[in-house]
Amino acid sequence: MAPRPTSLQVIPEQRTGATAPECGRRQFLADALRLSGGALVLLAGGSAADALAAVAEKPRGEAYSWDEHLYAYLIDTSKCIGCGSCVRACEAENKVPDGFYRTWIERYVIGMDQTHVDSPNGGKDGFGPVQVGFTATKSFFVPKMCNHCRATPCVQVCPVGASYRTKDGVVMVDGERCIGCAYCVQACPFGSRFISPVTHTAEKCTWCYHRITKGLRPACVEVCPTGARQFGDLKREDDPVRRAIAQDRVEVLQAHLLTEPQCYYLHLDKEVR
Amino acid sequence: MPEISGFSFPNDVHVWWSLMIVMYPYITGFVAGAFIVTSLYHLFGRTEFKPVARLAMATSFAFLLVASLPLQLHLGHPERGIQIMITPHFTSAMAGFGILYSGYLAILVLEVWFVWRHEIITRARRSRGLRRAFYAALALGTYDTGPQALEVDHRAITLLAGIGLPGACMLHGYVGFIFGAIKANPWWSTPLMPVIFLMSAAVSGIALLVVLYQVVSKLQGRAPDQPCVSALSRWLWFFLILTITLELLEIIVMAYERSESWLIISELLTTRLEFSYVTMQMIVGGLIPLILLAVVVLMNRYLHERVRNTLSTVAALLCLLQVFSMRWNIVVGGQLMSKSLRGLRSHYEPEMFGREGILMAIALLAAPFVILWAFDRVLGIAEREPEPRAQDAGETHDRATEAGGVHAA
Amino acid sequence: MEHARHVFRVALVLVAVVAAVMVARGFLVPKSYGMYGPYRYDNVVEQMNVRVPLHRGAAACGECHDDQLKKRAAGSHKGVSCEICHGPLGLHVKDDGSVEPPSIDRSYTLCARCHRKVDGRPATFPQVVLAQHVNGPVEGQVCLTCHDPHSPKAKL
Repeated sequence: MAPRPTSLQVIPEQRTGATAPECGRRQFLADALRLSGGALVLLAGGSAADALAAVAEKPRGEAYSWDEHLYAYLIDTSKCIGCGSCVRACEAENKVPDGFYRTWIERYVIGMDQTHVDSPNGGKDGFGPVQVGFTATKSFFVPKMCNHCRATPCVQVCPVGASYRTKDGVVMVDGERCIGCAYCVQACPFGSRFISPVTHTAEKCTWCYHRITKGLRPACVEVCPTGARQFGDLKREDDPVRRAIAQDRVEVLQAHLLTEPQCYYLHLDKEVR
Repeated sequence: MPEISGFSFPNDVHVWWSLMIVMYPYITGFVAGAFIVTSLYHLFGRTEFKPVARLAMATSFAFLLVASLPLQLHLGHPERGIQIMITPHFTSAMAGFGILYSGYLAILVLEVWFVWRHEIITRARRSRGLRRAFYAALALGTYDTGPQALEVDHRAITLLAGIGLPGACMLHGYVGFIFGAIKANPWWSTPLMPVIFLMSAAVSGIALLVVLYQVVSKLQGRAPDQPCVSALSRWLWFFLILTITLELLEIIVMAYERSESWLIISELLTTRLEFSYVTMQMIVGGLIPLILLAVVVLMNRYLHERVRNTLSTVAALLCLLQVFSMRWNIVVGGQLMSKSLRGLRSHYEPEMFGREGILMAIALLAAPFVILWAFDRVLGIAEREPEPRAQDAGETHDRATEAGGVHAA
Repeated sequence: MEHARHVFRVALVLVAVVAAVMVARGFLVPKSYGMYGPYRYDNVVEQMNVRVPLHRGAAACGECHDDQLKKRAAGSHKGVSCEICHGPLGLHVKDDGSVEPPSIDRSYTLCARCHRKVDGRPATFPQVVLAQHVNGPVEGQVCLTCHDPHSPKAKL
């Protein structure tokens, strides 16, 4: 068994080619140990008792099971001040290449007949004053990112199965299988994806999977100063995000496309696509 | 950095599917279209296409060999391209590429083999040494050219053409599906898309053969067979009418329904795509060949040979431009528009050099003709004259009588 | 059938090719592909460990900077993460425990990013028109002359 690491230490994982061909439960657990060195995933309904609970980076020292979580995201646009801290935090946390955005903020300035939308550098440096050629009656900010849709077209169109959705509801891209065809980028109705000029594979927001599986919150939620961004777990009874989705009037982007986004918005407007 | 008018999503300002992705349906369009022509003879027995049937099959084959190259050149990781065949994800139309391409390649290789089998065996008999070994291997070691064997060949060809025709249609139709099934992009998303792609593939294939047949006949010093030319023109006109009708129908319905996306699409068509859509695709490539071909078809009986040849060739060249513009307008046009439906980016200018550049595209278009030339050297495209009774293997005194080799440029 | 011998030869070649492809595929498909769906399951674990989390939250900063944390908790910036202004903890304290001074922008640009008055900000959010808020030119560290960023109510 691997030694329990300190909270900032990560045991480097081995290449997947080292796994044994047999995929029995025990063998797989042993392989996963060697692979991850840190977090560990149990199989469905796995016996937590004989689980190899030793190895985890979660502060509480428990192993991670993706069956116990189903994540969702809540955004209250009436609280967003457009400071761009989320965009900067995401860029630092995930090494997002310059000129591309895993998350961004849009500003809407709306009059009776006209709408102006802008997103200077994704909102990374905040927003400056804007001159619109009409009388604005309302304005607000809308943070956006990958919606981790339940019926997502991006996973549907990936020709090699590099794009997938996990059991805990996160859509990710396998950077080692992605061939860089950009079909998923075309298929995303929200413009969340891009082809990284560094890796030449598709990339997008992962809800900071490396953080949420350790009990932390995504970086953007962590730094948001007004609580406009909230991250939740639909499988937790007392989760505030779950309660908001269940009881408040929430919306999703481009609902008519039926992609079933898991980013829920409060106080959206008809002008927001 | 592209200039944006209006508002585009920050990630939505790049043209990911480049000139190479315009070339791919253009090339597979030739594959499908040429195969339709050869099937008109081999499957449906329309004898007026006999002069051009073997040329059409060889053309389809030559373009098929090149067809996967634009995709490989486009991928972020071309070395992983084979994954499409190893772990295809079948909900994706693009995963169909592996099956459809290899399946159709197998069918076409087989059909070429059966059609040219007699030729291969004859050449095996006529040559010595390494060349003989080469042809013998190609013939798979059997030398039966008796009438029953040729009858078996004929049935095999008909069967393969029968499977190959829907195969060719699917090989190109799935490309249309790749675009048509993307609900995120309203310029692409329509059930008409696979049909439009297929119809315009037929246009491009037939048009290419019109031009090729004229060129090849000129090089051979033979007059092009006029019933064949008018048959080709007739079918070209037919498919062109279908194509233009469908393409117009798409935007007419969009405009009539005043769908959410119509505002930005009409701005796209009248600003960024004005030249390539209105001028090239619809007028120069659409209206004018429609008129020229109408003359060729409706006034067929009054036309002098030279006039028919010239008009049909000019119309065919314009059709080739039309199909290219159509591919460009769909692939590139759809990416100039943001999914915010509020913004358009400045026009995409492909690089000159580089693996997705203009020179590469020209090379990809030239390559099949090089393959055609090699094909003719190895197998001989035109129908061989019946052999004289006394066979003298060394007799090569007159190359002109020896199957009239086609020296494509 | 004797005249169809060549057809059998062709069929044989075809079968051999298909067999070769199937065999090759057996070697080339990754082991964890298909375990939970049409993807490589190993990647889920890889994503969990793709990097050490860089942001650690204000409480983690408090382990060394408890006084700043307390001051912040008592003021109106109590909801503002330290890492917004000082950058992520992971860049300040490295894996091996070594400490690098975090970069901090003390100019008005940092404060203005949140507090300059622009369209879109909720009306109840404290925001000012800089030129009207400041006596004199808006330049340099002018905000800090009156406001302690850890407890920003004006000193005046």
